[in-house]
Formats: sequence, C-alpha cells, structure tokens
Amino acid sequence: MIQTIPLGRVLQETVATPYRDLVTRPTGAAVRSWIQKAIAGSAAPTTLLDFTDVGLLDFSCADEIVAKLLLDTDPGADHYVMLLGAREDHAEAIDHVLNHHALAIAVVTGPGELPRLLGRVTPELERVFGCVFRLGPGDAGSIADMLGWTLERAADALLTLALLRLLRAEAGTFHPLPT
Amino acid sequence: MTRIAEVPASFDDRTFDQFAQAFGAWPPDERMLVDARAAQWASPYGLIGLLSAGQALREAHREKPLFTVPASDDVRRYWARTGFFRHAAELFEIHGKVPRVPTSEDSDQLLDITPVGASEDVHQVVGRIQERAARMLSHELGLEAKATMGFAMALSEACQNIVEHAGTSGWVAVHVYNWRKRLGRRVIVIAVSDAGLGFRRSLEATQAKRFGDRWGDAAALEAALIQGVSRFRDPGRGQGLAGIKRYLSRWDGKISIRSGTARLSIVPKWDDDLPLAEHLPFFPGAQVQVVIPAQEGGAR
Repeated sequence: MIQTIPLGRVLQETVATPYRDLVTRPTGAAVRSWIQKAIAGSAAPTTLLDFTDVGLLDFSCADEIVAKLLLDTDPGADHYVMLLGAREDHAEAIDHVLNHHALAIAVVTGPGELPRLLGRVTPELERVFGCVFRLGPGDAGSIADMLGWTLERAADALLTLALLRLLRAEAGTFHPLPT
Repeated sequence: MTRIAEVPASFDDRTFDQFAQAFGAWPPDERMLVDARAAQWASPYGLIGLLSAGQALREAHREKPLFTVPASDDVRRYWARTGFFRHAAELFEIHGKVPRVPTSEDSDQLLDITPVGASEDVHQVVGRIQERAARMLSHELGLEAKATMGFAMALSEACQNIVEHAGTSGWVAVHVYNWRKRLGRRVIVIAVSDAGLGFRRSLEATQAKRFGDRWGDAAALEAALIQGVSRFRDPGRGQGLAGIKRYLSRWDGKISIRSGTARLSIVPKWDDDLPLAEHLPFFPGAQVQVVIPAQEGGAR
C-alpha cells in the first residue's frame, strides 16, 4: 500500500498563497509538519511525495521538507519515503540539500522504470540499487554473484542502501521499495 | 546642522562607498540631507541602498532625513517607475517635483523596488517574477530555459537572507540593463538590501571565537559566503548562499555582499572587481548584488 501526498495541495492548505511555489523555511516547515501528521495517520509503509503541481522549489524549502523529513524518521520504523513528479530543477535542489546531510532518496520515474537516486549516492550504490530493483529481493551472496564482487563489497553496499532507506532489509534479504 | 550625502552621478555598487563615506560615524548626529540632484543614473543596488540609508536613520531614531530629487526629468521619471519615490516618501522629507508615473512600465524592470520583511513577501516576489524572468532570461540574455528556475531560486534565497538574518525589513529589485562599459553585454541584476544587523552581528555569537583576532565584517562575510556558516545551529542552514553560488558558477554570474565595512565578491573572469574589500566606510545592514550576464554568442 502506498500513500501519495500531493505537495501542491498541501501547500494550498498550509500557506495562504495564490502561488504554487515551495519557497522559504517557514513554508517548508509547515508543509513537513503536515506530511508528518499524514504519515503518522496512515498504515502505508511507503509514502510518495508528489511534486507534480509544484512550481519552484528553493533550497531552504527542499531542506525543510525532504532533508528534515528523512532526518526526523525513526531509524527503526518500517516506513519509506520516495518522490514522484519531481522536475529537473526540483531534483537539483533536493540533490543539493541531501548531499549536504549525507542523505539520499529515490524518485519514481515511471511504472517499472528504475527510480532515480538523489543525494549522497555513489555509482557503486546506484549499481546495486538497480540490480535489486531489476531482480527483486536478494541477499549479499546473490548480488555479489550478479556483479562479480566480493561478498563483503556487496554486503557493504546493500547495508548502506538500507541505512539510507533506499532498500528494505528483512532477515538478511534486501527488498526494493514498492513503486 | 545638516550633513550632506551626495548621490554620485552614476550610483551603483562601485560608487556606493563614496555615498556611505558621507555619513561619517554611524549613526550621524546631524540631520542628513541626501542630495540626488546631480544623479544621472542609479542601479537597483544604488536605489535600494538609498532606502536602506533612510530606514537605518529612522531605526536609529534620527530626525527624518531630507532628500532632494534628481534635477533631470528623465532620471526622476526612471526612479519613479522603479517605485523608489513611493517608498522614499515614508523615509525622507522629499524636496523637488516627483513625477506621477505607474511603476514597472519599463521592460527592463523585472521587479520594481519591493519591500521584503516576511516569508509571505518572498512568496509574492518569486510568484510575480517567474513568467517575466523566463522570457527575459531566454530572449534577452540567451540563457537556457532551465536557468529560469535557478534564477528564481537565487532570488528567493537572497530575499530570505533579510527575513532570517536582518532583524528588520529590506528591499529587493531586479532590473535588466546593458553593461556597455563593464562587460559589453546585457545583464540581469538582483539587488537586495537591508538596514539590519549585518553579517558580523548576526554571526558573532557563534563564530567570533573561532576567528579570534581576525573577527570582523570581512571574516563574517567569509564565514557566510565561502564557508556556508549560519547563525543557526541547525545543520541544514547556510545552504541558501551555497545554492546561489552554485547557480552563478553555472551561468558565469557574480555575487557581491557588502556588510558593515567590508565587501566580499565571487568574481567571474569578465569582471575586475576585488574579491575582498576591507576598511570601507561603514554602512548598516547588508547589501547583496547578483549579476547574471547574457551568454556569449547568445541574445544581447
């Protein structure tokens, strides 16, 4: 089950503005607070933040909404956040702030398509993320075999992706996030 | 006694120090007369700097300063179209004939002088400017469409600097004009000015000890613009100026920030400005200028 939050609509509900722009820290904080309440009130394990109707996203707002949402997430919670409908300029602002905090997030690009990763993600991690997305749940051994890597290298990459909440870890098996 | 501050004939970031010098020790004890009679031209940086001077005097509880309008009809009309006199009337006792013209009728004024004091003002500024900015950046400066959003982001972050750090309100203006002498190309200029705390006072509590004897206006600007330091302990802060720098590096732009007695600039190859100017005449608050030039070979 996936919970989709249309940020354009959240903006209209939280800030009295005729514009569609997610700008300024107070606006970002208000929107994040709305999102956190919505997540808390939902049983869905994955939340998609939908940027489709958003105009401009500035760095301050990207930091308040996306980076702080990830920073505030309980590391033990089985809940994941992804993005949807993010334009190139949105992605750029989000990538910038996530890099600053050493965080990462996946952007859903289309049904069945490999999500795009933003933030502090190395090419090695992207490769493993793509592998799990295409092949489905796997463990370090299967990924190591697939990529011709050592077991330690594959395990390290999978664990990092799980810590970044880009994969879901369950009893030594790593699952792609549902899209 | 009245102290006179003459507005330079061509009033921009390069002649601003000459204007600041005229105030002497801040705040001046005497009533100020800002004399703009000889002014022939003023950049948005100059115009909102004048307003910041008036605001700083008001906040220092000084007698309302006098202001004599430019002698030139054309200059007066241009200043009126920027919205300057509308705001100046609240801060100065104006002497001279002020033309009644609607603001923003010029195609080169992307954003007439607009007060910024709260987050809602930033929403207004960004929301109002985007469509025209897209047209100007693309048609007049030859920038790719994707430059537009980055421009609006830079504008938003520059305005937020006032809201977050100044402790008072300020102004923003965005104009497009031809820098014939300095560059030989058209430029789009964002100017943001306030009469607030300034960078040194804003960062003093958290940064002064780290810099030790070096602490001052220049060190505070270095901390904010180069090191991305903020007065807030929140680790996500300080990204606004970093974001502006990133945008400017892509489009060969320039940023300069003057605060107190120093000015720090990130200078692109096309400009010969000093990266750091210290021991300037004191001026309250902070004055930010962002310049994005037309791309070479692009629209002029």
